[in-house]
Amino acid sequence: MTAEVYRYKVGDIEVTVLSDGFRDVPVDDKYLSNASAEDLAAQLKAEGRPTDFMRNTFSPIVLKTGGKTVLFDTGNGEAQVGPSKGERGLLNQNLAAAGIDRNKIDVVVISHFHGDHVNGLLNADNKTAAFPNAEIKVPAVEWKFWMDDGEKSKASPGRMTELFANNRRMFDALGRKVTPYDWDKEVVPGVTAIGTPGHSIGHTSYIVASGGKRVFVQSDVCNNAFVFAPRPDWHGFFDQDPPQAAATRKRIYDMLVADKLPVQAFHFPFPCLRMIEKSGSGYRTVPISGV
Amino acid sequence: MPKNWVRNVSDEQALAAAAAAYMPKGMVRVPFNPQLINTGSKLVLIDTGVGPSPQNPRVGQLMANLAAAGVDPKSVDIVIMSHLHPDHTNGIKTADGGLAFPNAEILVPAMDWAFWMSDENAAKAESNPMMKNYFANVRRVYNNVPANRVTKYEWGKEVAPGITAIDASGHTPGHTAFTVASGNSRVLIQSDVTNIPELFLRNPEWHVAFDVDAPKAVQTRRKFYDMASAEKALVIGFHFPFPAMGYVEKDGTNYRLVPVAWNPAI
Repeated sequence: MTAEVYRYKVGDIEVTVLSDGFRDVPVDDKYLSNASAEDLAAQLKAEGRPTDFMRNTFSPIVLKTGGKTVLFDTGNGEAQVGPSKGERGLLNQNLAAAGIDRNKIDVVVISHFHGDHVNGLLNADNKTAAFPNAEIKVPAVEWKFWMDDGEKSKASPGRMTELFANNRRMFDALGRKVTPYDWDKEVVPGVTAIGTPGHSIGHTSYIVASGGKRVFVQSDVCNNAFVFAPRPDWHGFFDQDPPQAAATRKRIYDMLVADKLPVQAFHFPFPCLRMIEKSGSGYRTVPISGV
Repeated sequence: MPKNWVRNVSDEQALAAAAAAYMPKGMVRVPFNPQLINTGSKLVLIDTGVGPSPQNPRVGQLMANLAAAGVDPKSVDIVIMSHLHPDHTNGIKTADGGLAFPNAEILVPAMDWAFWMSDENAAKAESNPMMKNYFANVRRVYNNVPANRVTKYEWGKEVAPGITAIDASGHTPGHTAFTVASGNSRVLIQSDVTNIPELFLRNPEWHVAFDVDAPKAVQTRRKFYDMASAEKALVIGFHFPFPAMGYVEKDGTNYRLVPVAWNPAI
């Protein structure tokens, strides 16, 4: 394993980006619902990427802000290290490499209820809390939807029923002890929650602001940087409401371009800090080292 | 950015290129990335950074990062210098003046050693504060290094297992690039063929202040990158953004770096 830890500052707030590892995803007709595997391969080729697979990476962040240590999203969970042959579930290893004690994390903020963001809430035993002393903050909209038995009974079989089952398993293990948070309010010092629904019903991004500097923590507004930035209208299989996800992506990216606001992503190539530029009918992402 | 950092264009032009690459306003950001190569039989360090720097903790971090990577400096077998500028060579010494890699053979480019150790050349540089400082620095750093620890190497030869030295002169008279080859794979270590790519790959004709022979450095840069882009070779650059690896594409008469993402597993 290679330790993946990257630090930078936003004013007085220290950001540490930590890799949870990766998953290689096939280029096939299942990945996009409104374009073909051939279209996808052509786009990847145009970006100079391999055309037979896509490497999806997972990168939670830790913020040191207002005397608190705050983790945003938790990765795939340590239980995945073995089954994935060490490819993912690496957050806890990288926290240790970064010298961050899991017992000293004060708050865990969850952006949305997909397995690669919430499953790290539990230890490898899938029973006990990985961050035993942390308050767990979740988007109120997301919490209401996934914990609603009526919604669960209406879920279409497959991805949605699996997500309901996974979320119940996770949060039941934690005794459903969470603090729901609302959009457009400060969720931890210096960090405002922004509703960016579409990818999931309560999907949330954040603006981190301190000392005149700002970063937009987008969560999953755009998954693969080489696919959905240049082709913002494409629909990924992982989007709960694909047209809304595409509209959100374009609204947010137009704002990031206009405001020259750096974006910290969850699924971009490590360390996932980039600027967004307009490019043709879509966008281009440019890696930067700090803000 | 120091005034006249790029010798042959205005500060406004240089800073505009930096701003286009999202560098902080009025600044150029220059990273320093030595490379450690485990050849299987030898641990080889290419370049050593600026050395202990208590007054500026943003640089001089090589020893701390070697420790973080689990590498004992005593286990380094060979230290290869690409050239004898302070940001590459000063890290061979500890804060108290000892050898940072006590068991390593130190390899220096013969041409650079001859140039910087020549008293005649030093005398000629008296009127140029930057060059004067470089001559003094090389002498200070190597002054108490036992002569039998320093080996001069020639271009076109294998200097360590799988590592071949290539003439990349211009930036300094003995400035050296390397190929690292094993099996079917190969990587080019460009050392300082370009300083930061955001300025000098995008504008290969620009002269960075530190070039000893800037026109020759431009010639070397074009030759090196015409080859690297044609071969689609993976390139490591001492002053590239960390992890300092990428592919270089031709862009008209200029070049563009396509950085390689960090790899979570090897």
